[in-house]
Amino acid sequence: MEESRQVVLEVRDVTMKFNKYEVGVNTLKELVVRAFKKNLKKKKFECLKGVSFDVHRGEAVAIIGKNGAGKSTLLKIVSGILKPTSGYAKRYGRITPLLQLGAGFDGNATGVENIYLNAAILGYTKKEIDAKFNDILEFSELGDFIYSPIKTYSSGMMARLGFSIAVSMESEILLIDEILAVGDMAFNRKCHAKLAEMREKGLTFLIVSHGEAVKKYCSRAIWIDDGLVREDGDINTVFRHYTEEMTKPVTPPPPLLKPAEEKPVKGEKTEKHKKHEKAGQ
Amino acid sequence: MKSITGTLSQRVYLLRLLVRRNIKNQYYRSFIGVLWTVLNPLLNMIVMAFVFSAIFGRQTNGLDYPIYILSGNIIFNIMRSSTSSSLPCLVGHTSMLQKTRVPIEIFPASNVLSSLVTFGFSFIALFIVAGFRALPIFGGPHYTFTWETLLVVIIIPAVTIFSLGISYFLSALYVFFRDIKHIYSVILTLWTYLTPLFYSVEALNSELVTKAMVFNPMYHYVEGFRMLLRGDIPNLMMTFSVTQPSILAMYGFAILLLIVGWIFLEAMRNRIAANL
Repeated sequence: MEESRQVVLEVRDVTMKFNKYEVGVNTLKELVVRAFKKNLKKKKFECLKGVSFDVHRGEAVAIIGKNGAGKSTLLKIVSGILKPTSGYAKRYGRITPLLQLGAGFDGNATGVENIYLNAAILGYTKKEIDAKFNDILEFSELGDFIYSPIKTYSSGMMARLGFSIAVSMESEILLIDEILAVGDMAFNRKCHAKLAEMREKGLTFLIVSHGEAVKKYCSRAIWIDDGLVREDGDINTVFRHYTEEMTKPVTPPPPLLKPAEEKPVKGEKTEKHKKHEKAGQ
Repeated sequence: MKSITGTLSQRVYLLRLLVRRNIKNQYYRSFIGVLWTVLNPLLNMIVMAFVFSAIFGRQTNGLDYPIYILSGNIIFNIMRSSTSSSLPCLVGHTSMLQKTRVPIEIFPASNVLSSLVTFGFSFIALFIVAGFRALPIFGGPHYTFTWETLLVVIIIPAVTIFSLGISYFLSALYVFFRDIKHIYSVILTLWTYLTPLFYSVEALNSELVTKAMVFNPMYHYVEGFRMLLRGDIPNLMMTFSVTQPSILAMYGFAILLLIVGWIFLEAMRNRIAANL
């Protein structure tokens, strides 16, 4: 019992701020021009505001919430792709972030080469990949296609290969971002069976999803709303509250103050401009 | 401790895969494949030697002019090809950097190492040319082999580190400013002309050039390599009175650039993943 309560993911006060330019500045020319015109508006956009939770070994946790609530950012922080502005996320154990299937496949390389490349990107050594190679090949059911360049694959085949690599490699924590709809129906069923098998083995799951399908794996859910943990507890309760909120009759949004304030300012400017022009004439 | 060495060997393995992939992709569409890396500097050398030998051919401190051009170009090419391929490399791997926990610094490093492989092939081309010029044809042997040429192994790490530093810096900067691609190609062209690739500092006979050249890192690498080809060994210390390549300058510039590039990449690390 003591063993099973071991914390494998520790998320403490994670706050994430992004610099959001009004207009995306991505050239030096634009930066200089805007700096001269003094309209380099920088907005701090707070995506996560002090999120804390623990995940114990063998637990399966679903993260739910509206689009743009910060779920994916949270997953990136947990997996270590992003560093939070403040707070920390600690991982105790090997982690496989499954945020996008086949992220980092190389179109010109064959399936075999991509298996090695992709698994190496996930952090595995050649020896470990060699040991799992046949499992991956078998699970993906790609047959002789594995020796063809990836660019000849259909998107379904690519997703199959990506999924096969991720689930075949031995990891302790699996992070999944809404990618449970893989391939055709038969393969999809196989994926779910594989995930269930991994659950039984005691792998820790952290799944971002909207669907009810996660209830199959997860016993606990964390509802992220507007960058905060709204509710953390039994999956059925949290899902019920979440569904209630989502299906609530839509109240008219409060009047947007900012644009209304800005508009007259803009108008003034243009009027001033016109006056200048008139004066000039 | 064991896990640290384990991680390191895993990184090295990933780096190897990436270098192999770079090289494969580089020659994927080219009909003559790797042979092109040998032919490219050779053709370049033939044209340059044909055009400039009358003007600069006599003032190369005794090094045969075709070898003079070729040696300069292949050293300069390590820097040129690794930095220009590293510039867009982080942006090019957007999905990988956003969706996996791959260490960011591995991409510029793989490009630099790929350039070193290309240099290896070009070095063979240089050997062939040198062998050809050592034959008693076209007016006698123009070149004699010296054992000091083997000391090229002390220059290559310096150029590599130097290129890596610039690559780190540029690849991170390109994430934020996409127009530095054009600016950098201009800088690279100017740098090519400011480095004695087809001319020699002595031939220009200008005091300003002689004084300023010491501050061009590529001068030290290129000219140092040529000294070894002549059978001389570059000075250890830097001299400001006489323009001469120095080993200290080679490593000084290299380590300085590596530190600057690394710090910049490290400082931008989080913003890169957020900004891609």
